[in-house]
Amino acid sequence: MAQSFHKKRAFLDREARLGLGLSLPIILIMGGLVVLPLIVTVIESFYRVEPMKPGMPFVGLRNYVNLMVDDKVLTSWVNTFIYVVIAVTIETLGGLGAALVLHKARAGRRWLLAAVILPWCLPPVVNAIIWLWIYNPSYGLLNGILKAAGLIAENHVWFNDRLTGLFLVAVVHAWRMLPLTAIILLASLQSIPANLYEAARLDGASPWKQFTTITLPLISSGLAIALSQSTVFAFNLFDEAWILNGSSIGTRSLMVQVYMSAFQNMKFSLGMALSILAMIASLMVSAVYVLRVYKETRFD
Amino acid sequence: MKRRTLLSAAAALGLGVAILPLSAFAAEPLSVLLPPWVTLPKEMTDKYTAKTQGTLDVQTLGWDEIRTKIVTSMMANTAPASATEMDWSWVGQFGSANWYDDLSGILSDDLKKDLPTTSIFTYDGKLIGVPYNNDFRVLIYNKAHLAKAGISQAPKTPDELLADAKAVKEKAGVQYPIGLPLSATEGAATAWYLLTKAFGGDLFDKDMNPLFTDKDSGGYKAMAFEVQALKDGLIDPASTSLKDVEIQELFKSGKVTFDVAGWAGNLAVYSDASKSQVAADAAAALIPNVDGKSRTIGLPGALGVPVSATDKETAHAFINWMLDPETMEDNYLKLGNLPTRISVLEKLNKDGKLQQGDTLIAQAALVEPLFAEGTPGWYPEFSAAVATNLNAAAKGQVSVDDALKAIADAAKEAQQ
Repeated sequence: MAQSFHKKRAFLDREARLGLGLSLPIILIMGGLVVLPLIVTVIESFYRVEPMKPGMPFVGLRNYVNLMVDDKVLTSWVNTFIYVVIAVTIETLGGLGAALVLHKARAGRRWLLAAVILPWCLPPVVNAIIWLWIYNPSYGLLNGILKAAGLIAENHVWFNDRLTGLFLVAVVHAWRMLPLTAIILLASLQSIPANLYEAARLDGASPWKQFTTITLPLISSGLAIALSQSTVFAFNLFDEAWILNGSSIGTRSLMVQVYMSAFQNMKFSLGMALSILAMIASLMVSAVYVLRVYKETRFD
Repeated sequence: MKRRTLLSAAAALGLGVAILPLSAFAAEPLSVLLPPWVTLPKEMTDKYTAKTQGTLDVQTLGWDEIRTKIVTSMMANTAPASATEMDWSWVGQFGSANWYDDLSGILSDDLKKDLPTTSIFTYDGKLIGVPYNNDFRVLIYNKAHLAKAGISQAPKTPDELLADAKAVKEKAGVQYPIGLPLSATEGAATAWYLLTKAFGGDLFDKDMNPLFTDKDSGGYKAMAFEVQALKDGLIDPASTSLKDVEIQELFKSGKVTFDVAGWAGNLAVYSDASKSQVAADAAAALIPNVDGKSRTIGLPGALGVPVSATDKETAHAFINWMLDPETMEDNYLKLGNLPTRISVLEKLNKDGKLQQGDTLIAQAALVEPLFAEGTPGWYPEFSAAVATNLNAAAKGQVSVDDALKAIADAAKEAQQ
């Protein structure tokens, strides 16, 4: 009895109440704006939610089964995985490079940082429209530069080839999201004590050896966060694919397919089921990255 | 004294804050959701205020975005605006979802007779949109290009169109004479529907079975025509990435000779020297047809009032103002949106204000709805399949046969 009373008092002590009070706003916000809609989405994905048809009957797994046999959905899965591979690779390597440059920069670092962050500050639609002009087959900058350099003789219609189209859409997405990776990794780099490098230099370690034995392990947590967010955002790629190439099946992402199912065809439950599958896939891939990177770069 | 002043100031501030929402409510403008081509200039909104004493809060969104906003809002039982654009292609979906009010009561019998396209916006006996923008398609061409190529009259058949385009390319130096969108967008699908009619075909029979998979069908010939013209260098290869509005820009800059699926109202814009580089050369002709007897499609725009709209009476007044002859004239002369009222069209032509008026009046008489029984709810799904597969065929990713088979399959699936 006395033990239980003690536990109760410990739970309700001042610090715990303060902690709970401070956490409450975020619990309410996340609960109301993320968890609750997620639960509703999961539940309604087992019903037929189509405003054009009366009622909302329970259909079990029918929405999920329909998604498995739909060619367009399967193609959008493949496209999305390609986007994830290209975008995460560019963002991670480019972001790490940019973070290392920013970390080493002595003069004009603030300006350099501002320039790196700029694409991330622009709304995704604006970003995509800028690149739409760059890729424009008639008057686009890309064709202009390549022609001026003598690399191509005639204008290319970049999105006529599926793989080129996928790569170009992924580049636009990576260009927008790379700054976030760079900032996360820069923060990790700045937390590494300088005396570790000094000791390594005294021991005769080469820059590459320093990078692989000091830098990489000590930024592993930042790298895991960066990889995770890159993966989730790449899975959610929408604006770039939609603005650059519309509903074209060659570059259609999962989120474009969700939009078309839900808002164009007004088959909301189908869109909900697909968005749930996309969320699960993105979390699984992120988890694999996080665990692998964390495991491989730990000292112990 | 100071304390009294302070208290008075606080009381006045409190009163002001309390009254502010009431006064704001009293002067609240009518929220209206319209596409970019109906961006009402200040001169027109001033006329609205003078006539109704009200003001407008016009939200301009792209065609796709308006639809998304309506769907999202209506799913949440909230009106996106008190009056919104209602495209002909949304009638089946929005009608079956019961999202829009029946507006037949706000139109007089005379007005209904003057608006022949109201049937397109009637779903299950309810008029869910009042047509105000008479979009039908005509062949718009650059007469200077034809003259340079030694051609004296506009083509009357698809074969003549092809022959003229080749002649213009060779003799007038126009690199890509035919303007047709081939991107995966609604505008590309619409152009294919029009060409299907031009080749003497229809999309579906009365039981909604696809009629375009047979090699002799109008739909098959139309898609083959588009793909072949692209391969022959008569259509800009960039068209696989261009929307209809971008094709219009190419026509305005003189880079294209034929705007094959031209918006009838656009002649006003094409002939305006401040907006077009080919103002003196833009001309219109009836849509070519294999039979020599022109056919075209009507794709009008309307205004609707969502069932959950708050200010319905003002919305009705706004719709009636948009139908006012003076507003319709302004809408055409300033924005290029052709009137839906026959009487206004005839008056504009009589006054010499209707660009290529005789051609437009003649083509207007040949307008057919795309779906005689009204646009079905599955149209957007079908249309997306058309846009996607036409785009893939134009890019050479699938054959015309496969593209049309995929469209037919999608149509059957959408109907289930």
